[in-house]
Amino acid sequence: MEHKNEQPNEAQGHHISSYKEHFSTLAALLLLTVLTVAVSVFGADLRSLSVATALLIATIKALVVAYYFMHLKYEHKLYRWLLLVVVLLFVLFLVVTSIEYLNR
Amino acid sequence: MTTATTDLNFFQVKRGLFSWIFSIDHKRIGLLYLYSLMTFFLVGVTLGVLMRLELLNPGKDIMEAQTYNQVFTLHGVIMIFLFIIPSIPAVFGNFFLPIMLGTDDVSFPRLNLLSWWIYIIGSIMALSTLVFGDGPADTGWTFYVPFSVNTTTNVTMSVLAAFVLGFSSILTGLNFIVTIHRLRAPGMSFMKMPLFAWSLYATSWIQLLATPIIGITLMMIVAERFFGVGLFDPSIGGDPILYQHLFWIYSHPAVYIMALPAFGIISELLPTFSQRTIFGYTAIAFSSLAIAFVGYFVWGHHMFTSGMSGTGRIVFSIMTFLVAIPTAIKVFNWVATLYKGSINVQPPLLYALAFIFLFSIGGLSGLVLGALATDIHLHDTYFVVGHFHYVMFGGTGFAFFGALHYWFPKIWGKMYNITVANIAFVIFFIGFNVLYFPMLVVGLMGMPRRYYDYLPEFHIPNMISTFGSWILVTGLLLMLGNLVAGLFNGKKTGRNPWNSISLEWQTPSPPPLANFDKLPELPEGGPYNYKND
Repeated sequence: MEHKNEQPNEAQGHHISSYKEHFSTLAALLLLTVLTVAVSVFGADLRSLSVATALLIATIKALVVAYYFMHLKYEHKLYRWLLLVVVLLFVLFLVVTSIEYLNR
Repeated sequence: MTTATTDLNFFQVKRGLFSWIFSIDHKRIGLLYLYSLMTFFLVGVTLGVLMRLELLNPGKDIMEAQTYNQVFTLHGVIMIFLFIIPSIPAVFGNFFLPIMLGTDDVSFPRLNLLSWWIYIIGSIMALSTLVFGDGPADTGWTFYVPFSVNTTTNVTMSVLAAFVLGFSSILTGLNFIVTIHRLRAPGMSFMKMPLFAWSLYATSWIQLLATPIIGITLMMIVAERFFGVGLFDPSIGGDPILYQHLFWIYSHPAVYIMALPAFGIISELLPTFSQRTIFGYTAIAFSSLAIAFVGYFVWGHHMFTSGMSGTGRIVFSIMTFLVAIPTAIKVFNWVATLYKGSINVQPPLLYALAFIFLFSIGGLSGLVLGALATDIHLHDTYFVVGHFHYVMFGGTGFAFFGALHYWFPKIWGKMYNITVANIAFVIFFIGFNVLYFPMLVVGLMGMPRRYYDYLPEFHIPNMISTFGSWILVTGLLLMLGNLVAGLFNGKKTGRNPWNSISLEWQTPSPPPLANFDKLPELPEGGPYNYKND
């Protein structure tokens, strides 16, 4: 029965993730959350880099969610390119704003 | 049964209010947008006329300073978020994109209906500020901090309304991108696509990628107002200029959400009414993408006097001048299209020509504001108000009304009175210039914007401007009255009254539910091959 359900989905290109993958992703996200808290509590030495570190960890978490929970890993390459374009655009916004801010 | 259904046009298939407000037919949704947009537009016009009446003489004429602040804010919110951002894509994009692509609907018809409902909910929220609490926001449509955080007027509801309206915009953009990628007729490659579709494609990407930024930014205002998070308040570590960055990262590309579809309309009108192949198809198509891309990186030109860094100002000024290149490519190509054409002067062409003239004044005055030195003098003066009305109203507004006159016979299968339309156009055009050109002059003289009062030396230009608003409204009412009269009493038209070769003119007027009664034939040699070059 389970197999029958899977067939049409596979035929349409949908991937069904295993429990193992779901829980591994959840564990990775929880670990990264712990890391974020740890950095903010114990990482006072990072000073101006503390925001950059928090953003970096948040970006990794977002990518993990997109790749596994949102099945980007199993989709057509085009979608990864689209995500890359959007992320690059966002980075450019940050860079241009930062250039202005740091030169004030 | 099937044959009987195909003989009916999309108006006749179903009747009754519910058949409209729950319709998933892209044509009906386009018209739902048209009726609601025009209603809000007339509210915005009324507020604008009231503002001009207040400015007829120095001192108080008809309203208090605080009321004036609220009126210009609501005028801006309505005209920007409720009218001009959705205008061409939501009305003509919804109605004509699938037909021009040779398909029967957009990719996600239910999402399309949802976007209209979200638009209505957002609009009601925006207008509800009139009756609840301390009245509409008095911040200007830009909601600049720190004032928007401190004022007691209904800022929260206004920004929530803009937030909700953003979802409608995103859904429409998403729908168009997927439709253009997936539903083009067999044989219609991207380079054989009508330029209106190209312009909607570029617009949709901006809607999809830039709108979430304004959503988050507006939510930050709400967070500041309720929780004092300290994002923008310097006394608790915030940065008020950061708000301006975030706001304009969306709102400048939003200018291209408003302008690009208008460019697409002009690229449709000129070949039809000059019976000539569009000059520089590829250049026009790619200049839309170039404007969309470069337009993302010019937002800082709204902030030259905000206290931002000198380096930042220079970078943003250079980028601003770069946008003029793809825009000028379009203007020169349009003019070249007319050259040696068989010009057929009809109301839609008049609007297209007016667009080129008015948009050029708007664009060139924009360069004056994009230059660092001159902007210091002109920032926050009436020159800016004149500039953006020339771009937005003279540009997008005229293209919108040009499109309405162009596709009117296709949508309703009837023709309005051409002579009255021409007269209305002339009055409208004169009124527009009498209304807005004095603003450029009085701005150069140094009159600041957003005050209900002014010095006596600014009296005459303000008086002329207010007279202009009356002329403009006369032209507008005559134009709309003529169109409404055409709906009821207009002569029936055939499939193709303008002798165009674009796909939408192959189908009956009004089109059937499934858009085509026979398989549409793509014109050989591209969508503008008029074969008389």
